[in-house]
Amino acid sequence: MAERLVICIGTKKGLFVAEGAKTRRKFELRGPFGNGVPVYSSLIDTRGTPKLYASSCNPWFGMKVLISKDLGKKFKETKSAPAFPKDDGRALANIWAIEPGLGKKDLFCGVEPASLFHSTNGGDSWELVSGISNHDHAKQWQPGNGGLCMHTIYRDGNRIHLGISTGGHYLSEDGGATFQAANNGVGAGFSPDPYPEFGQCVHKIAGHKDAPGRLYMQNHGGWSEWTGPGGARPDIGVLRSDDHGHTWRSIAKGLPSDFGFPIIVHPHDPDTVYVMPHEPMTRACPGGAPAVWRSENGGNSWTRSSKGMPKNESYFTVLRDAMDIDHLKSPALYFGTTTGQLWIGRDGGEEWNCAFDSLPPINCVKVAVV
Amino acid sequence: MTVTVHIPASLRSYCHEDRSELMLSAATVREALEQLERNQPAIYQSICDETGAIRRHIHLFVNNSFISDRQGLETTLAPGDVLSIVPAVSGG
Repeated sequence: MAERLVICIGTKKGLFVAEGAKTRRKFELRGPFGNGVPVYSSLIDTRGTPKLYASSCNPWFGMKVLISKDLGKKFKETKSAPAFPKDDGRALANIWAIEPGLGKKDLFCGVEPASLFHSTNGGDSWELVSGISNHDHAKQWQPGNGGLCMHTIYRDGNRIHLGISTGGHYLSEDGGATFQAANNGVGAGFSPDPYPEFGQCVHKIAGHKDAPGRLYMQNHGGWSEWTGPGGARPDIGVLRSDDHGHTWRSIAKGLPSDFGFPIIVHPHDPDTVYVMPHEPMTRACPGGAPAVWRSENGGNSWTRSSKGMPKNESYFTVLRDAMDIDHLKSPALYFGTTTGQLWIGRDGGEEWNCAFDSLPPINCVKVAVV
Repeated sequence: MTVTVHIPASLRSYCHEDRSELMLSAATVREALEQLERNQPAIYQSICDETGAIRRHIHLFVNNSFISDRQGLETTLAPGDVLSIVPAVSGG
């Protein structure tokens, strides 16, 4: 069977699956699955027979993990969802990330309140990863606007990078047994100490397999005009590390705003990175004119990419997991908006068009060729 | 004493043959939930979180009374009582 492009679109009203040819001309839309229940994370697992996962975050009846083995024609619940031990005292409030682990059936799951779960059987059972979930710092983490969420799990061999809002960046270099806060150079605008050991509001972290040790971070920026204790903190929103996340430096110069949520890397070039700047107060497109900004030199300079997008009167937000890029030879970017539009940027974002314009508010977008 | 547990439509897929009612023997609401935890874990997990607390948007009624207006989980059950699981009307 010819390869197909699959897009998982997690929305406020359930998961949609779009499938089309690699030409990306037309997509068939299926769903919503998990009808009426918000989906905050999804995974297209291309290890072996492709499987689609989605978190179904039911405010009434609790959290579920959905799985499809037929490219999203039907979904069922995995045999269990992550859950804290009965005597732990914490209760699962949301599932923010589902990512593959080392083994073929290994999965990691980041949740609210900020904790990590691990499954070795494709999501049928889950174990709390104590090294981070019961970390000495955990009781001092504070919830951001979206709750106290572990939203980013980025695995690089035996290293695991976690993004916690608001806990900061945590790094394990022993496969997840232990974790250390690794926030040297990561600023926080909302604390008197501009560079605390932990407690930053990290929004997303991305990397590339061909640039070991290189990481990009979209941090909570927008503090250039802060006049409170500790003074202004310009350019703390977009960062880069070249030492596996031990230290970070700003690469925000040249962007219209250092506030944003997603950050992604070109699949074939670790120097090419994309962000979607928002105004820090409205968390919407600056001036009502949406644009993705691209750097082709690892963040030294940025160019605006918006051909085909509205030039004004667009005040949507693109959330942290709502932008992705496919791995075709000339990759396309995809982002979903809180106003329910899915945009596709062909040729690495050179030209944009709206593939779906009336979906429910979009929380997450994942794309893969299967 | 035998009571009836009314299952809301959205949870019936967890019951054998999508039943809308379950029969069980319990003297209090707490005992009824403990039985559900043992025998219908998916139903129980949809009503209560890991700490055992009733989920925020779930209301339990004994006949026409909200259990919070009686003795909460210690509300006693009499033969023939109906324990209803009612999702709160909310959302947008």
